[in-house]
Order: sequence, then C-alpha cells, then structure tokens
Amino acid sequence: MYKRGNSGIWFLIFLVLAAVLFLANLWYGSVLIAWKDVLAVLLGSSGKNKVYEVIILDYRLPQAVTALAVGMALSVAGLVLQTVFRNPLAGPSVLGISSGASLGVAVVVSAGSLIGLEMLNQSYLLFDIPLVLAAVTGSLLVLLIIIFVAQRISNAVTILIIGIMIGYAVSAVVGVIQFFSRDEELHAYILWGLGSFSNTNNMQAVFLLLTSLAVTAAVLLYSKSLNALLLGVAYARNSGINVKVAQNILIILAGLLIALGTVFTGPIAFVGLAVPHLARNFFKTSSHGILIPAVIIMGTSLTLACNLVARLPGYDTSLPINAVTSLIGAPVVIWVIVKRGKVKKA
Amino acid sequence: MNALLKIKGLETGFRGKRGKTVILHSNLNFEILNGQFAAVLGPNGAGKSTLLRTLLGYQKALAGEVFYGNNLLESLSVKELAREVTVVLTDKLDESFLTVFDIVATGRYPYTGIAGRLTEDDKNLVEEAVSLVGMIDFMNRYVHQLSDGERQKVMIARAIAQQTPLILLDEPVAYVDAPSKIEIMELLLTLSHVHGKGIIMATHDLEAAVRFADRLWLLGTHAETAEGTPDDLLQNGTINRFFDKSNIVLNKEKMIFEKKL
Repeated sequence: MYKRGNSGIWFLIFLVLAAVLFLANLWYGSVLIAWKDVLAVLLGSSGKNKVYEVIILDYRLPQAVTALAVGMALSVAGLVLQTVFRNPLAGPSVLGISSGASLGVAVVVSAGSLIGLEMLNQSYLLFDIPLVLAAVTGSLLVLLIIIFVAQRISNAVTILIIGIMIGYAVSAVVGVIQFFSRDEELHAYILWGLGSFSNTNNMQAVFLLLTSLAVTAAVLLYSKSLNALLLGVAYARNSGINVKVAQNILIILAGLLIALGTVFTGPIAFVGLAVPHLARNFFKTSSHGILIPAVIIMGTSLTLACNLVARLPGYDTSLPINAVTSLIGAPVVIWVIVKRGKVKKA
Repeated sequence: MNALLKIKGLETGFRGKRGKTVILHSNLNFEILNGQFAAVLGPNGAGKSTLLRTLLGYQKALAGEVFYGNNLLESLSVKELAREVTVVLTDKLDESFLTVFDIVATGRYPYTGIAGRLTEDDKNLVEEAVSLVGMIDFMNRYVHQLSDGERQKVMIARAIAQQTPLILLDEPVAYVDAPSKIEIMELLLTLSHVHGKGIIMATHDLEAAVRFADRLWLLGTHAETAEGTPDDLLQNGTINRFFDKSNIVLNKEKMIFEKKL
C-alpha cells in the first residue's frame, strides 16, 4: 500500500556505484598501478613497494575521502536549503554561500601572511582551525543576508538572482584582498578557488569526513521537521513543529556543511544544487527520511566521478573540479527552470 | 457542555509600526461546542483569515482572550496546540514528489517522536482518514496529479488524521467545482454531526454557509459583527446588511444576489 517505487534498488545501485568509484579513485591516475597492487597496499601486505604506498595512501586516499566528504556535505546542505527556503533553485554556490566561506578563508590567509604564515600551502592542524572557523563565519554571514532577503521576497528566481549578486559582491571583496596579497599567496588562493580535492592530507580528509558525518546525522534528526516544512510554514506549525527553531537550526547546520565543503577544497560549484534534484527524480519522493541518505550516496558518487574525469590521462595534474561540476550542474539548473515553467503553465 | 473554543472580547488586526494599528474587528465573543459547524462568513477582505490566524496564534490578538477548553491559547505549546486544533488552508502545495500518504501522515506528527517514525496505529489512522474522504485509491498519488477538489479532500484527511476536537478551514471550497463543493460540505457536515468535531469554516460563500452551517459568525468590512443561526440572521435582515451593495441585494428565496429593481 505505501510502497515507494524502487527506492531499495536505487539505494543498492548507487551504493555499489559509490564504492566502485571510490576504488577507481585509488586505482586510476597518472601512475598506473595494477588492481592487485592497489589491494595489496590497502590490505597492508605490499611490503616491498614504498612508492605505491605513498601514491595510494598519501595522495589518492585522502583525495578520495575528501571527494566523498565534500560530495556528502554539499548535497545534504543543498537539500536542506531547498526545503527550508522552499526554493528548488537554492544551493550552496548559487546563493553565494560558498563565496561567503571563501571570503572567510581569504581574510584569514591574508591575515596570516601579515605575520608570515602561508596557510594554504603548509598544512598544520594549528592553521586549519582558524581557516575552518573563518569559513563557517563567512557562510553563515551570507546565509543571514539571504534569510533577510527571503523574508521580504518570495519569488524563487528573484532570490536566486540576488544570491548570485551577493556571490559577485563577496567575490569582489575577495578580489580586493587578493590585490594586496603577495604573489605566492595569490597563486595558492587562485588554485584553491578553482576547486580541487587534492589539497588535503590524511588528517584533514578524515576531519572532513567525520565532521560532515556528524552534521549530517544532526540533519537526519530534523527530517520530520523538513518533511513538515514541505507543506509550508503554517502547516508545519500546525503539525506541532516549532518552525522558527527548526529553521534556524537547519540553516546553521547547512552553513556548517557548506563551510566544511569549501574550506580545504575551494568552492565546488553546482553539486549542492544539482544532487537533490537528481535524487528526487531517481527515488521519486520528497520524503527526507529517504532523500537524505539518497543525496549522500548520489552526491559522493558525483564528486568521486568528477574527480576521476578531472584526472586527465597522460597529464600529471588534474583539471579544476569546478570545470567538471559546472558542466554537469549548469544543465541541471536550466532543466529545473524549464520544468517549473511547464508546471506553472499547465 | 464545555466549549471547545471560546473567544472573549477578542480584537483582531495588525499592530503596525509607529502606532499605526489597524483594527479589523473588536469585542468578538464566540464559542463552539462539540458537533457544531460554524461558518465565519463575510465579504472578501473583511478579516476572516485574520481571525483564523489569530485563533491559531499565528498572529497576536490586539486584545481579548482565546481559550481552548480551559487553556488560554498563549499557555499552550506548539505541540499541545496541534492536538487541540487542526487547520485546512488555501496554501497551494507545489512540492512534486509528495504523495497523499506523505501529506496525511504529517497530521500524525504531533503524536510522533523526534524522528517522526509512524507506528502501525498511526498508519491505520492515516488510512482511515483517507478512506473517510473517499481518496483511498489515491494513497500513492503525487499531489501535483490531483485536482483542486481532490487536494482539498486530502488536506481534510490530514486534519482528520490529526484527531483534534476542532477543525479550522479557510475557504475550503473557494477553488473547487460545484459537485466537489457539495461533496466537501457534506463531508464537513458528517464530521461535525456524526463524528462530533467542532468545525469553524471561513468562507465568503453565503449559499454554502447558510445551507450547511449550524451557526454563522458574520464579519463585515466595516468592523461590524453578528452571530446567530442562519435562519435568524436571514429572516431579521442581518445578512442583507453585511452583504448588500448599493445596487445588489440578496434574494432570500433563491439565495442569490440580484440587481436592485
């Protein structure tokens, strides 16, 4: 009676896909390593080949874990934003929230350089803490502005455009900061801004994974509130939900996830916006109990896949991740707008 | 018998900035009992929705008191209030992958834990509510596949599943076709007279209100109010005073408005 289509099958498919893509991220790259050698390194029985160990454990593994964590964080954040703002076009990058996190990072990096630190190049835990805090502050700051605007304007596309403008304005501030930066920082910051999963060490990757998991678990606790909010604020309140409290907590959780998905990797475009739509269309539901796990496995699959695509064969370095995610994400945005237009006319 | 809802000296309106307070209606005194079907009747813009919003605590009363049973509205938590009163609004749902089951299940939320997990009892109550409105075959339909009338019945099923003694409805038949309108009004009548629910329906539909409601609460555009049975208010000309325009009057026999001759 209450069947949910084939959500079980899709869960299985995307779970297997994510696992395969994760392993492929360890296997595929500029240095070719045979499958059995990859497995040997992972099982700790490689012994003789130190080079393979370094490539897989110190380079590809943190990269894959980072892609996984960021894919999860941004997708869950995008889903939360779309429900809380009741806006299908909401997402971390389109609303300028990622730019807010970038601003935080830029401020701390240039402040660091004033006292002779190169925060983006050297990674010590001591430097990571102010970076994370700054990213969180920046993303929440932009979210505050968006809330202020959203309370006065209800048109989804207008809010989207304002979000994009906020993004430009914040990026302009970042540009001014960069102008006064030294060349080395500028170079590091521009590379960071292009987006990459390869700038993290193992410790940072594990930190991202654990914190993203923790915040996502907190979001899961609010799936009842999220479901009620789909009916609008008035119905949600009538369902016994303390709407103001739930909205505030959910927005803070989304801000945390976006900061985590930005601080070490740079702003990653479109993942947070596109994945919830893909998940809804595969799983054919708006229920968050299903959608949250669905966006987690689809988001991680997407970022892991993008990371593979970015590693061009025959080149030592990889393409900027944003070039890849934008190629996938931009058509999704267009598709959503066109589809909404059709629904309105019908 | 104790009233489900009692309004004492209520004043509705908007407290604006710098003392620009707009008062819509003052000194409202109404009450509603189990099994009673009341219609808040008035022309568009009179303040019917404002009254409902005030009764639900969505906006503050300018003066006066609202009691649910013996409890003052302000003393109830959001969750407690959700067990006293449920609401059917005019808000359109555009979320495309919500099913009828999903929507009606939110009526059980005041009774579920933090995770919102539905027990077998909850699921049975949802099923009962959906059967009662005659939508059981639509259980797995998405909301965007429903007509306006069907969607309204689903929202009423949600209200039933919430198991509150009192149901508030804002213009439940404003956008539905004529047969669905009668169907929905009969359904509300059954809910009040058979199932003992107290029902307050805001409407500008004079014909529906006079035909189905036990009591009318009239709200006029110029702050005037009246209360009584439809027959009394019709016979003593009160309804005419609230609705007639300079050249349009109500024909009591036919229950239609016509041009003054």
